[in-house]
Amino acid sequence: MDIITVHHLKKYFGTGCSQVKAIDGVSLSVEKGKFTAITGASGSGKTTLLHLMGGLHKPDGGTVVVDGTDLAKLTEEQLTIFRRRKVGFVFQDNNLIPELTVRENILFPLALDDCLPDKFFFREVAAIMGLKDKLNNFPHMLSGGGQQCTAIARALITKPAIILADEPTGSFDIKTSQNVAGLLKMTAERFRQTLVMITHNLELAQLADHVVCLQDGRIQNRSLPKGTKL
Amino acid sequence: MKPESFPSKRLLFAPGLLLLLLSLLWKYIPFNIMPVILSALGAFALLAAVLWGREQQRQQSGLANSICETMDALMDGREPENYHPYEDSQASKVQLKLMQFHDKLQEDGRQNRQDKQAIQELVSDISHQVKTPIANIQMFTNILQQHQLTDDKRKEFLTTMASQINKLDFLMQSLIKMSRLETGTFTLHMETGSLYNTIAQAVSGICPKADQKDIQIEVECDSRLAVRHDPKWTSEALGNILDNGVKYTPKGGKIHITVRPWQFYTRIDIADTGTGIAPEHYNDIFKRFYRAQETAGEEGVGLGLYLARCIITLQKGYISVRSQAGKGTVFSVFLLN
Repeated sequence: MDIITVHHLKKYFGTGCSQVKAIDGVSLSVEKGKFTAITGASGSGKTTLLHLMGGLHKPDGGTVVVDGTDLAKLTEEQLTIFRRRKVGFVFQDNNLIPELTVRENILFPLALDDCLPDKFFFREVAAIMGLKDKLNNFPHMLSGGGQQCTAIARALITKPAIILADEPTGSFDIKTSQNVAGLLKMTAERFRQTLVMITHNLELAQLADHVVCLQDGRIQNRSLPKGTKL
Repeated sequence: MKPESFPSKRLLFAPGLLLLLLSLLWKYIPFNIMPVILSALGAFALLAAVLWGREQQRQQSGLANSICETMDALMDGREPENYHPYEDSQASKVQLKLMQFHDKLQEDGRQNRQDKQAIQELVSDISHQVKTPIANIQMFTNILQQHQLTDDKRKEFLTTMASQINKLDFLMQSLIKMSRLETGTFTLHMETGSLYNTIAQAVSGICPKADQKDIQIEVECDSRLAVRHDPKWTSEALGNILDNGVKYTPKGGKIHITVRPWQFYTRIDIADTGTGIAPEHYNDIFKRFYRAQETAGEEGVGLGLYLARCIITLQKGYISVRSQAGKGTVFSVFLLN
């Protein structure tokens, strides 16, 4: 069963001669509860595709249907709530708020939606991410890996059906990358979430159930077989 | 700023505002008309409280109705009529949670159906695996019963039969382990213990086979390193990966085990100088009963790496593989600290 269906998706930036076809007719389906990795060279359209799936960009053509909802039919306000409740984002720059503690950063999305946290879930996520003893620290007191784990915990806390991770390990060495990617995979399995992760690291892509390779805004699956799985 | 404290701040705001208003009234309004103003304010507050109470009641009733409608629809297996998951309202928030719960139940049902299908496939796989050795044993038994054979020939046939029986026994042992892992009828005994000892146990099990092929096994692991794992099953998983390495490494080759403790995981690399695995088979090698065509000559039933992955995954770890054709393969086992 597919949770995200992308059909003939197009996204262009600029006009005339300087127009860049970031996504040029991409069609793909993301299976519910599975881990899909999107790979490709820099500028191949990976991030644009992820942003279109998460409702952060409006497409110039084609459709994005998430769990039965066509994103084009949502108003800006509905899109904001969709992003808040349905999707958890993890970016390369973790975008933590430096003035808030780790605990406050993690709980921030719930405060935006005026929701009380599920205490048991919060404790479990904090324990998995190795943040149990660092909840009252500020982000600058953590390592890069620790900060990214806080960002992952923040993405998980609303229990979204989908986690969209844009090169979450991009700025780390291979050791921290494997740590962070492993935790993302494990939590997605544990909480039955669909994980879509952009990575240029083919070793990390091996962790995924499905691998989609992009080139010049189009799907090209020759570098890794679809369904490469460990 | 604590997100949990938002509602309590709001509750403090109203009495604060009221006190401020009263102090202003006291300061600027003549004393003789104060009773009238206070009575009017009291009446206004009473009216506001009644209206607020009614509004609350109306909202609660609306929310309850919305929950009931959604649940009725889900019990009937249809989408709720007024399903607006992305509205900024209490009803929308509750609807989305109910739909999540419903999805979870649906997912459980789907998982059950998949499990049933997996059992059917397993039965088919097992019968396929068992067929050949049994057919061989039957054939050799018939020959031994019906023909006068020389002692040498008889011995040769009996040796072949013994190897087929060993294969069946090995298959049966593997199936029992697989069944225990898949059905969860065993408990992992997770303990913070020496990983060095676990690796040593796995290596000692494979040493006789490695010696036969003159394969050198080197281990680079801090003997003081303590990792949370199930020693028995982890040793089994590592043993299976090592067995795979020894099988596909030519005579005189080398297997190098390196252990590196990381922040969240402890990484165990098992690198061999074997024939390597083509990238298109990275997925297949962990499948149940998978045997590569080029390795058909090697003994085995294709369960070792499958079992290894099951064991490591159950411990919340994972395995990855890198390989270069003709140069060797590195299996990386990641154990959650």
